[in-house]
Amino acid sequence: MGEAGSTARPIIDIRHIHRIFESEAGLAHILHDISFTVQQGEFVAIIGPSGSGKSTLMNILGCLDTPTSGTYLLEGLDVAKLTDDELAEVRATRIGFVFQSFNLLPRMSVLDNVMLPLAYIDVPRREREMRAVHALRAVSLPLDHYDHRTNELSGGQMQRVAIARALVNDPAIILADEPTGNLDSTTGHQVLDTFHHLKDQGKTIVLITHDSSVAAEADRIVTIRDGRIFEGSTK
Amino acid sequence: MSMRDLAREALRSLEANRGRSLLTILGIVIGIAAVIAMTSLIGGVRNSLVSGMGLNAARTIFISCAEPLDEDDLNDLARRIPDYEMIEGTYDSYTQVQVDNEMISVGITGSNPQFLEMTGMHSKVSEGRIYTEEEATSGARVALISRAGVEALFGTGTSSAVGETLKLNNKAYTIIGVIDDGITGTGYCNAYIPSKALLKDFSDGWHYFSQVTGLAREGVDIDALQEETKTQLAKVKRIDDEDIEDNVYVYSLKSSIDQFNTFMMSFQVMIGSVAGISLLVGGIGIMNMMLTNVTERIREIGVRRALGASRRDITLQFLAESSALCIAGGIIGTIVGYLIAWGLAFGITALGIDLSEVTGSTSAAFTPAIEPAAIAIAVGISVFIGVVFGYYPARRAAKLDPVECLRYQ
Repeated sequence: MGEAGSTARPIIDIRHIHRIFESEAGLAHILHDISFTVQQGEFVAIIGPSGSGKSTLMNILGCLDTPTSGTYLLEGLDVAKLTDDELAEVRATRIGFVFQSFNLLPRMSVLDNVMLPLAYIDVPRREREMRAVHALRAVSLPLDHYDHRTNELSGGQMQRVAIARALVNDPAIILADEPTGNLDSTTGHQVLDTFHHLKDQGKTIVLITHDSSVAAEADRIVTIRDGRIFEGSTK
Repeated sequence: MSMRDLAREALRSLEANRGRSLLTILGIVIGIAAVIAMTSLIGGVRNSLVSGMGLNAARTIFISCAEPLDEDDLNDLARRIPDYEMIEGTYDSYTQVQVDNEMISVGITGSNPQFLEMTGMHSKVSEGRIYTEEEATSGARVALISRAGVEALFGTGTSSAVGETLKLNNKAYTIIGVIDDGITGTGYCNAYIPSKALLKDFSDGWHYFSQVTGLAREGVDIDALQEETKTQLAKVKRIDDEDIEDNVYVYSLKSSIDQFNTFMMSFQVMIGSVAGISLLVGGIGIMNMMLTNVTERIREIGVRRALGASRRDITLQFLAESSALCIAGGIIGTIVGYLIAWGLAFGITALGIDLSEVTGSTSAAFTPAIEPAAIAIAVGISVFIGVVFGYYPARRAAKLDPVECLRYQ
């Protein structure tokens, strides 16, 4: 993603992030003073048990939520201070989501699902199709499946379509939230292989999981517990 | 998102819920159908009224006077009142023609070609033509006869009477045209010939008009013109003020048209309120369905937001859906309404209800008239309802927190 000399600058640079939810029950301090960076081309796993705050952290990383305090620089842009519309644009152009439950739209074809993010940044339809086909090739989905409705696919195929959808806008980071959580171990491995493949092509991947065997696939593991970071091992 | 993307997505989502969508738009269909049926029926009745009386009916004024009027009087009157586009006098006469052993009555009207145009007679010429200015000035022996006249003189099977010779008062008249006034089987003939010809062959020196008809200029106040005509005509004929009411008669079709419009207006208000209520109920139905729609698709909204949809994109998506629903309702309603109008028109004709009583038309049958404007208005109303009643659900969808939406099961 490149301006000259930006190699040293991390893709993700979050500093002293706090996230406090207000509710009728009182204040819930979910994230405490979290700081970490992700470099271009890294494959990072964030691991933590449920309730550790990793989903909240992922929502912030994915620009779906903003921190209560602290800064979040995504490719140098401080997204913590952006408006709702600006965040939507950042999500549309710089972030690719992969969800545990795939979250494909069931009424649409595989190709339409993958093209959808491009519709929100007004890419001409012909170009959308080309880029969607390119992304589907990258995840090795068979050509004859492109016109299928997504609910006709197997779980592993659905997740690969979802990864293609995350890739199609050529994002700065791919955020995967428990991408293997709904898959058996064989298809889960295939999906992780897809991530490795993407990493080899220079993509930056942040994977969130509670499963240490899945996290072990990453280059680096960041552990989160009770809303605090414990920087983990690097392979 | 572009308009095309929005339209495509809206149609796809409506198709996925086809049954529910159809039920939801029923209210809109009924409302729009009522509006279209009403406007095309009234349009049809009005058309048959106007064609019965001629296009210029609303501007036509009939003038008569106890003192006979001649050409000079009319010229004088026209000079005094510039608000008339023209004032035309006609002469009437009567004769009989022997066909086989039967005597056929022929009513003869002598007029200028302008009179035939003014009264819309020229538009009813189904064969041949009306006489030219030269024929009128020279008093050529040419005649237009009515359809009933063709039947009476030449038999019902006659294909064309144009070119035939008709002996009126032993003078040979050439038939140059047939007027289809919708009246058949009367057994007598109406003939229209140039004024000059009538004065020459039928008048024995009498040169006063039987009937005087004026055509007001566009936009002139007819009521005021009628009063002015009375006053000026009294001056032309030197009639004393106190005798005007007894000696000068001026009337117009405007009052009967006004009456028809008033009658139709109350009819329109009635159907209009029925349509309004069903559109309102239909709109609430649309809102209800859209709210259900939003709730069912909370997760989809979350996914779209995560993929980069702004609140505006979500609002537009749901507005496009409700508008597409309403437009579909509008289109179906337009078709249904037009079919209803045809059914009613057919029913009225089949039941033998003679609309000529109401409309003054000479023809009993009428066809509903659908105006492009009515369709445009129907679609416009549909879009309006779609946007108004779809806005609240759409805004609700857009205001949802994407994080909450993604967590929603």
